[in-house]
Amino acid sequence: MSDRLVQLRLLVPALCGVLLLRAAHLQLVRGAAYLRLAEQNRLRLVPEQAPRGLIVDRRGATLATNRTAFRVAIVPQETADVGAILARLGMLLRRRPDLLERTFLKERSLAFVPAVIVPDVPKETALLIEEDRAGLPGVLVKPEAARHYPHGSSAAHLLGHLSQPMAEELPLLKRYGVRPKELVGRAGLEQLLDAALRGRSGGLMVEVNHRGRQVRLLGRRSPDAGARVTLTIDAPLQSLVEQLLGAQPGACVVLDPRTGAVLAMASLPSFDPGVFVGPEPQAAAQLLDDPRSPLMNRAAVGVYQPGSIVKLITAVAALEHRLITLQTTVTCTGSITIGDRTFHCWNRDGHGPMTLTDAIMQSCNVYFMSIGLRLGADRLREALEHAGVAQKSGWPLEEQAGHLPRRRLTQGEVALLAIGQGEILMTALRAALVAAAFANGGWVVQPWVVQAVAGRPVAASRARRRLPWSNESLAAVRGGMREVVRNPLGTGHRAFNPSVALAGKTGTAQTHVPDRTHGWFIGFCPVDEPRVAMAIVTEYGGSGGDLPAEVARAVCEYVSVSDA
Amino acid sequence: MKSLRGWDLGLVGAGIALVTISAIAMASAASTVSGGLALRHGLWIAIGLALFVGVASTNFHRWIDTSGLAYGVSLILLAIVLAAGTVRFGATRWLSLFGLSVQPSEFAKLATTLLLARYLAGQTSPLPARVALTALALVIPSALLVFVQPDLGSSSIVLAIWLGMAWVAGMSRKTLAGCAAALMVLAPVAWQLLKGYQRDRLLAFVNPHADPLGAGYTIIQSTIAIGSGRLWGRGWFAGTQNQLSFLPEHHSDFIFSVIGEEWGFLGCVAVVGAFAWLLFRMLHIALSASSPQGRLLAAGVFSWIAYQAFVNMGMVIGLLPVVGVPLPLISYGGSSMIMLWIALGLVQSVSRTDAMR
Repeated sequence: MSDRLVQLRLLVPALCGVLLLRAAHLQLVRGAAYLRLAEQNRLRLVPEQAPRGLIVDRRGATLATNRTAFRVAIVPQETADVGAILARLGMLLRRRPDLLERTFLKERSLAFVPAVIVPDVPKETALLIEEDRAGLPGVLVKPEAARHYPHGSSAAHLLGHLSQPMAEELPLLKRYGVRPKELVGRAGLEQLLDAALRGRSGGLMVEVNHRGRQVRLLGRRSPDAGARVTLTIDAPLQSLVEQLLGAQPGACVVLDPRTGAVLAMASLPSFDPGVFVGPEPQAAAQLLDDPRSPLMNRAAVGVYQPGSIVKLITAVAALEHRLITLQTTVTCTGSITIGDRTFHCWNRDGHGPMTLTDAIMQSCNVYFMSIGLRLGADRLREALEHAGVAQKSGWPLEEQAGHLPRRRLTQGEVALLAIGQGEILMTALRAALVAAAFANGGWVVQPWVVQAVAGRPVAASRARRRLPWSNESLAAVRGGMREVVRNPLGTGHRAFNPSVALAGKTGTAQTHVPDRTHGWFIGFCPVDEPRVAMAIVTEYGGSGGDLPAEVARAVCEYVSVSDA
Repeated sequence: MKSLRGWDLGLVGAGIALVTISAIAMASAASTVSGGLALRHGLWIAIGLALFVGVASTNFHRWIDTSGLAYGVSLILLAIVLAAGTVRFGATRWLSLFGLSVQPSEFAKLATTLLLARYLAGQTSPLPARVALTALALVIPSALLVFVQPDLGSSSIVLAIWLGMAWVAGMSRKTLAGCAAALMVLAPVAWQLLKGYQRDRLLAFVNPHADPLGAGYTIIQSTIAIGSGRLWGRGWFAGTQNQLSFLPEHHSDFIFSVIGEEWGFLGCVAVVGAFAWLLFRMLHIALSASSPQGRLLAAGVFSWIAYQAFVNMGMVIGLLPVVGVPLPLISYGGSSMIMLWIALGLVQSVSRTDAMR
């Protein structure tokens, strides 16, 4: 018996040795790693989103703000019978329980993390759920800040919208402090100024127990609200032009010809940027599929045949090259034959003898085609290039350059180019800049829209380019533009209002669709000391003397009473 | 110092060292369970010590003489537990007596030890295989009744007591090898008899990360707790795994990880060292006992405590699968604490009886 006991005595150090070796491995060799795991167990970072910065217009009127959205979430570990809870919630929310369950299964992660099943319910519904607390164990209603655009679809293309980042963008965005499911600016100024608008999110460091319940608060960093962004936009003016365009697809750009500050930039049809963060994701999908392309900013991205508004550039070029003077007359017989082709003036009876002023006022095709031919392709193209027709303007948001032909043109094509037909495309933004150049005495300004971020003025490069055109030539064309509106024979007389001095030029551009024309109006006011320059285009909207001219008049009437 | 009128002070000292560690650890571990738990634990320690002194003052031979009766009573109590026990933790282990919950399986371990000491003492050495297997047959009813509770851990302790005592009584290596072979053949059968959660625990031991929130959770949290203690520990009442309840059963089966977390590697060394000291003292008493009964009794208690302590600490630090056995003299539990002190009292009695001769 004793020898067996002595053997057992060897067992004791062996077993103790095994235990202590293992303990030494866990505690001494890998202790630091396990300590880190223990800290991860007990510490939770609860992010606190910073309120996104406001976007306001030049007078401080709110264009984008934050409202309280009520999110309905379920804490899995506190809900015994999810099916029953969802059935009850379905009744309160008027939603199908099986759809709620699908969302719940998709959103649930850890037992203590609330799974959001409805991101945004009305306040009344939130109150109903709160009243039924006892019947809905584990259901939370969390108030959270959601982006709100009080003017709905107004200036939507400028403001842009928010959306959840896509999976592949996350690694890049993470460096800027963006977490999954956090909304980021997706288009427009929301995207351009995302970093400033987002601010810096704060958070709580919380010690939790094994059920994820908060035991104590260890620290807090309060979020820094996003910066307030002030735009050069004049919100009432913006709404006004949008209302006037109404259901007519098109665009309108109003800017200050002295600085390039954009006062209004409308594009129709528009959309409500709130739907991208709203409760119904399918509404956003519908916008993307809409054949009328409501998401496209027609003002800066839409390129259209400019038609007769180009005649102003043709006129300046002819004056500069001393091919004509104000006294030169061309007789319009109603048509002009170039080679074997005959082109008709819009007035088939003929305008008779025309001076430059008459020709601009009545938009005589024969006059401008004949001086276009005298200019020739190169000099005409040079003038159009000076005006920047096919160039981007330096607009900070998405922009499309226009188009000019690069190939050799026939005589007929040169004549057509002189009246803005054929292979030439322009944006409304560029057209407004051309109008501004006539208004400010020959300067091509750079358009801008952000006036201040967090109260500090944005030092935008106020670069401007001087056109190589003399003041006399520009003044001669301005005189014609004045008559377009003032003279009862002028094509833009509908824009006439005796109390405001508006100068302009209409355009009615033929398109590849027979008998459908784009209507244009570019102009500025007041004539003597222009404060605004503008361009209005209506897509397949008929004559430029109709709706575009009316919009222009309304803009001038607004400007004459505002303090802009 | 070693012996004062037959009292083995080393045995007493090691036992008191263990319950002192237990009281310190329990104060922290029980604080998150319920307020009175640590105090109740202290009360059990006091009752245990009193019983130890009482039992040690008696002659252990008289206890061995009553072993047949004690074993019979233990079987009846186990049967009653099965029939009418309170269901807890999905297992039926407790019996309500006078408002107290008692665990008859703890009593069964003591009764088994006494019965085997009596039976094996009369046998020749080396022990014939037939006798060793008869001894096994004697304890199988007890082991089975515990196994179906179901309590895999306690059931295996009964078998460990038999193994240790039969080995000391002179069981041949051949018999041992045969038993091992039989165990391997029977293992698949036993696997079929295990409950789902027991299988999960064994599988979780093989790969705890397969089911980190289920069966593997306890093992992972326990390893994190012990590892995070490093050399000096995170401090009394400062173990976050314990205090924030990431560690389940931290006052009972997983008390060792609380010690490892709050007192670090040094705390682990203290616990393992105190056990080694206790076990060496018991072997010393067994070696110096003049009667085979005394020698076998001490060897039986040695096997009981050595096996249970190793299995418990082994599972807590992730060396062995999670089977529910408490850490002797340290985990919370009145029945276990009292029975262990009675068993130590009997070992002390062996020492005293020898000294008197």
